[in-house]
Amino acid sequence: MGFRTRQIHAGVTPDPQTGSILTPIYQTTTYVQPSVDEYLSKGFTYSRSGNPTVRALELKLADLEGGVDCACFGTGMSAIQAVMLAFLSAGSHAVISDVAYGGTYRLCTKILSKFGVEFTFADGSKPDSVAAAVRKNTKLILTETPANPTMKCTDIAAVSKIAKKAGVVHAVDNTFLTPYYQLPFKLGADISIHSTTKYMDGHNATVGGAVISNNKDHAAAVRFIQNSTGTIMSPQVAWLTLQGCKTLSIRMDAQSASAMAIATYLEAHPKVAQVRYPGLKSFPQHELSTRQASGYGAMFWFEVKGGLKAGKKLMDNIKVWSLAENLGSVESLITHPVTMTHADVEAAERARVGIIDGLVRASVGLEDTDDLINALGAALDLV
Amino acid sequence: MSEFLKFDTLSLHAGQTVDPVYGARAAPIYQTTSYVFPDTDTASSIFNLERGGHAYSRITNPTVGVLEQRIAALEGGSAAVCTASGMAATFCAITAILGQGDHIVASTQMYGGNISLMKNTLPRFGITTTFFDPTDIDACRNAIRDNTRLIYGELIGNPGLDILDLEAIANIGAEHHIPFMVDATFNTPYLCRCLDYGANMTIHSVTKWMGGHGNAIGGVVVDGGNFDWGASDKYPTITAPYAPFSGINLWEEFGPSAFATRIRAEAMRDIGPSMSPMNAFLLLQGIETLSLRMDRHMSNTAAMLEFLQNHEQVSWVNHPNLPGHRSHRLAQKYLPKGAGSIISFGVKGGRDAGKAFIENVELASHLANVGDAKTLVIHPATTTHSRIDAGALQAAGITEDMVRLSVGLEDIADIKADFETGFRAAARLAKG
Repeated sequence: MGFRTRQIHAGVTPDPQTGSILTPIYQTTTYVQPSVDEYLSKGFTYSRSGNPTVRALELKLADLEGGVDCACFGTGMSAIQAVMLAFLSAGSHAVISDVAYGGTYRLCTKILSKFGVEFTFADGSKPDSVAAAVRKNTKLILTETPANPTMKCTDIAAVSKIAKKAGVVHAVDNTFLTPYYQLPFKLGADISIHSTTKYMDGHNATVGGAVISNNKDHAAAVRFIQNSTGTIMSPQVAWLTLQGCKTLSIRMDAQSASAMAIATYLEAHPKVAQVRYPGLKSFPQHELSTRQASGYGAMFWFEVKGGLKAGKKLMDNIKVWSLAENLGSVESLITHPVTMTHADVEAAERARVGIIDGLVRASVGLEDTDDLINALGAALDLV
Repeated sequence: MSEFLKFDTLSLHAGQTVDPVYGARAAPIYQTTSYVFPDTDTASSIFNLERGGHAYSRITNPTVGVLEQRIAALEGGSAAVCTASGMAATFCAITAILGQGDHIVASTQMYGGNISLMKNTLPRFGITTTFFDPTDIDACRNAIRDNTRLIYGELIGNPGLDILDLEAIANIGAEHHIPFMVDATFNTPYLCRCLDYGANMTIHSVTKWMGGHGNAIGGVVVDGGNFDWGASDKYPTITAPYAPFSGINLWEEFGPSAFATRIRAEAMRDIGPSMSPMNAFLLLQGIETLSLRMDRHMSNTAAMLEFLQNHEQVSWVNHPNLPGHRSHRLAQKYLPKGAGSIISFGVKGGRDAGKAFIENVELASHLANVGDAKTLVIHPATTTHSRIDAGALQAAGITEDMVRLSVGLEDIADIKADFETGFRAAARLAKG
């Protein structure tokens, strides 16, 4: 079955009792068991451990990624946290790509470090530097590609090879491209992580996360954390996300085409210093992006000439685009990572990895491309 | 099993069998438009009303179905149909049995929306209404004409709070073979089961006390199953062949639930004011605590009656539980647990003092709803009943200084303290 068929039908079967074409929202805590001996015979006991609506989404996402199983979480951060708790313990070490969502960086440096877990932030764009960071006690390599917000890409196949050689789990945060454009398992990765808040939902309606595993042992380890730490997704969120997934590929194609047009426009604009979009020939890893993904996505960043001051002028005055956190929704969003999404990353670390003060992150939505370009043009005129 | 279960148990369990698929304890929210048919024969028999089952959520929905069966059980009715709002319930119930040239006899003391429906909207379709003073049984009897097809009233009148004499009016209906429909929104089946006293169907805005949390708009029509539609030829929509469904005779096929079936087959199918599954789920949750909430509503109401009666800024207090109320005897008969949590009272100083009171209370919300868990106040003359002319306003028992209070579930000391603030503002205004 093709992706467009699977994004609609995978995981969802008509309700056996009523025929309801959509999976009902099982907004229930518990499940009545037929008898002590038949405990769990219908599959569910308590909605922290599993829920039929959440299960439908898990099956759909596992199918879309080509994995063996999926566990869904209350947020993208709880998905990342679950991967870390599943594979790391006191005394163990993880290599994290040195540009990642600020929340991932914060989880490593401010929370898990307190429990004796060690982290090295390595340049994911250079497989050698990842290989050099691997130690005897390394248990996990987590890469985010394209990375938020610099768009730096990791060669998934190369890093997976390093991980395999070292006997280390390689988890990829696939939020920016989704399985529609990028399939980490085909490139040798073990785990794919999503903030479903982004393209899976697509409508700014929910916060949620997912971890898809490519083998049963990993899936069981993640499922154990989902249940033990109580971080499962809610049935309402799962249901809304199920609806969002039905149009995932259509939204991704339209938003990505728009992103390409806008990035091209900005690159030629006299007031713009630089644009970083994997689809542009000027993008340093354009070749890698083209090789390992079938699309470039709808995220990019740019810097206005005049740096932070000029960027603020643009962000404070732009129409149509909303100044907000989040990304991947049908609403186009513009974000200033230094003060918003990556504020908890120290200034020196930000500078080291290329999150410059004037960096303006753009998440291209579904609005008319001309309107988005005209709004940027009008805001740039004010700079 | 239902006949062995008491009210509190029914409010938790009626209409719901544990989900057979997964055993889910809460009713699943079937947020779906349609249902996949196992085969064409099944599909066709569902469409022709030959068997139960779901085809499309405008007509039936499993989550809404649980709520319908639960309310029918609480009311002691044969069936129920939920609607998108209380007004939709009233409209669907009336138009299921009345048509051009037919006539309604209805109480003057009703929610402004009901009055407007009967006075302004239904006449455009040839259905006229004669209104009667609910305290005057003869007025009701005298209003009956040859073409009268329905007697309609609210058990606790809004906002005058006069009580309908259910048995007396039901007798008038029975004499003339006319069904008696009661809007039971203000009492809920916990305070009075109107069908037990001869009413033939009830209507609720379940937005109010039934749901109880101010979070979902909804309505319901309950079929009492106790009216003999076949005793006359006055009700062809129930007793004559129904063309859209192969000339089926609803009275013969569905007996005590023929009226509810007509609403389902016609209003839900052709007009479509269906309740959403999400609202049904929220309302089901509300009904789980109906009796607990109503007991608290009534104890808070009793305390507020005492407080208001003894307050120097209050010129008058109106509630059927007060011995001086003209419906006091009927309240004791039909509403022994309490005659609802709506109180009307006058603020000394008239219209401006009433306004000052409402603008200075903080805990009590100023809004056009009743039956919320939160205490609500409103000035009917300028809001809910503002589109009604002066004569009808007087007939409905509304004065310009009137404040309508919907007593909520807050701590009674906090409600009283809030009212003191409002009364102080009214007093300052009176002193000039």
